[in-house]
Amino acid sequence: MVQTKPGGRIEISSAAIASLAHEAVLRSYGIVGTVPKDLATGIANTLSRGSRRGVVVRVQDNQIYIDLYVIIEYGTRIASVARSAMNVVKYTVEKTIGIPVAEVNVHVEDLHISNPD
Amino acid sequence: MSEKRDNRSRPFVDGQDLKRWVSAGLSWLRHHQEAINALNVFPVPDGDTGINMVLTMQSAWQEIADSAEKSVDKVAQMVAHGALMGARGNSGVILSQIWRGLARGLDGKEVMTGNDLATAIDLGAKTAYKGVIHPVEGTILTVIREAAEEALQAAQKTQDARIILEHMVARAQDAVNRTPTMLPVLAEAGVVDAGGQGLYVILEGMLRYLRGESVAEDLRLMRVVDLAAVHAQAEAGYGYDVQFIIVGSGLDVAAIRADIDAMGECALVVGEPTAVKVHVHVPDPGVPISYAVRLGSLRDVVVEDMQAQYQEFVAGRERPPVVGAPMASTEIGVVAVVAGDGLARVFQSLGASAIVHGGQTMNPSTEEILRAVESVPSNRVIILPNNKNIVLAAQQAQELSKKHVAVVPTHTIPQGIAALLALNYQSDLEENAAAMLQAAQAVHTGQVTTATRAATLNGLEIKEGQLIGIHNGDLCVAGERMDEVIAALLAKMEVEKLEIVTFYYGTDVSREEAETLVASLREVYADQEFEIIEGGQPHYFYVISAE
Repeated sequence: MVQTKPGGRIEISSAAIASLAHEAVLRSYGIVGTVPKDLATGIANTLSRGSRRGVVVRVQDNQIYIDLYVIIEYGTRIASVARSAMNVVKYTVEKTIGIPVAEVNVHVEDLHISNPD
Repeated sequence: MSEKRDNRSRPFVDGQDLKRWVSAGLSWLRHHQEAINALNVFPVPDGDTGINMVLTMQSAWQEIADSAEKSVDKVAQMVAHGALMGARGNSGVILSQIWRGLARGLDGKEVMTGNDLATAIDLGAKTAYKGVIHPVEGTILTVIREAAEEALQAAQKTQDARIILEHMVARAQDAVNRTPTMLPVLAEAGVVDAGGQGLYVILEGMLRYLRGESVAEDLRLMRVVDLAAVHAQAEAGYGYDVQFIIVGSGLDVAAIRADIDAMGECALVVGEPTAVKVHVHVPDPGVPISYAVRLGSLRDVVVEDMQAQYQEFVAGRERPPVVGAPMASTEIGVVAVVAGDGLARVFQSLGASAIVHGGQTMNPSTEEILRAVESVPSNRVIILPNNKNIVLAAQQAQELSKKHVAVVPTHTIPQGIAALLALNYQSDLEENAAAMLQAAQAVHTGQVTTATRAATLNGLEIKEGQLIGIHNGDLCVAGERMDEVIAALLAKMEVEKLEIVTFYYGTDVSREEAETLVASLREVYADQEFEIIEGGQPHYFYVISAE
């Protein structure tokens, strides 16, 4: 993501945006984890507990697209949780870097049961 | 105030008691809904916390409204189920988790003691915390946790539910007041946390009920509509809802409360010696007003006909999906999500088979959309969500329905209209869905509304209350004057390259204003054709379609 301003260029890497999105999604209510997009390649990632796992950022035609691969708490309304996560990530990234986010897609990969009832 | 209900001598809380608590909490919350919306700055300043919490509690209430269930655990489970099904927004989801924990804490209990209440609330708080990895303090989570701590302490000294709730409410209020010290974004905006305030208001409503105080709204209005009861009550008449503020000196609040209370129902009198706010339901609005005028000068006098309010309420509550022209079951039906009666008529006139009312800040649930889909006398149905936030609910309805359903993910009303115009009854569902999406994407959408909060977005400094223009979902213009904002927005939309521009004006705009505006635009854009249609949509002054 490159912004050219008078007096220089600002370049923000996809990795930086992904860290930001990851931080935001973990504060979003109902999300209890993220998982690597591809589980096979992800085992190493899981162990390393990278700060960006489960978040894929693409920049296309100077537009930001974010995909979140998440685990949601069992027993919550998944649609509401996913929508909130979408809103929170979009808002946080836009507020922090000042560039509009074209899309945030939430992929619910699993549910986590911490309250058996 | 006279004692209306004797809830103090009861040692236990049963299912029907809990039901009345929920009702009172919801009524009080509805009364404060707008104020709570206005506080909403975290996590996203979209001004919908109040409405989301109300819709969540309303869904909970609907589960128990007609229930005569005596055991407290069954009622709590119904409430938890309803809250889960209707949970909207962050605060709604958290609220539903609190109810879920509380219901689990009451499992197997016919009635609840003070201890049961405290441990159940505590489990509610713990359950709420389990739903997030990094809990953010200074939110509704903090408020429920502290209220639960207080309940556990209070229950060691008393088994009286009212006293325990009194402690909880006081602590909740204290916690709410401290939220800006925990969450800097609140301090910056000069507000307390909206979700926390919402929870406090619910608890306070419950306490007010236990104290025999009014929760401002007539509880009967909150009931899921029972037709026989409606007729009986309508005949008796509702009279008038009267509100005003008395400004004077040395006003005796307690004496005014006693006098007003004697005049009618649902009296609410609060204030201080220099200003007293009065709210009461009376058959003759002249009585409380003449009384108050002797005490001081009156401000903000509001008199509303409750009969009309009630009928509106019933109409709104019961609003079934609007069913369009009869159709053969082999044809393709279209369900459109629309806010505003004018826009609903536009969609119907273009052949939509059912309308679900909703839109920005009023997202319909999956269940409502599903019901509309099932109501269409056709096995093949296309859903037009017409809002980015509703696409997901539409897709869930698609999965849940046994019918053959396609969702055309329209993000705006103009996209929905363009899609509907592209519907070809001769083609099959998939072909139609593809053609409709293509048509939708060809349309430019402009929207004009006001900013609910100050913000910096897309490099624009936006002040609260400023007009903002949105082009295809991107906020691109902000300003003070409607004509300037519209001119800048049309320039962004590159209207000069397009042919037809349609203005759908909302509830806050008169036809004359819209016509004056468009007349001046016709001078600028001589080659384009302009159309004006009454949209009747809330929030948006104008929705503009250009193609």
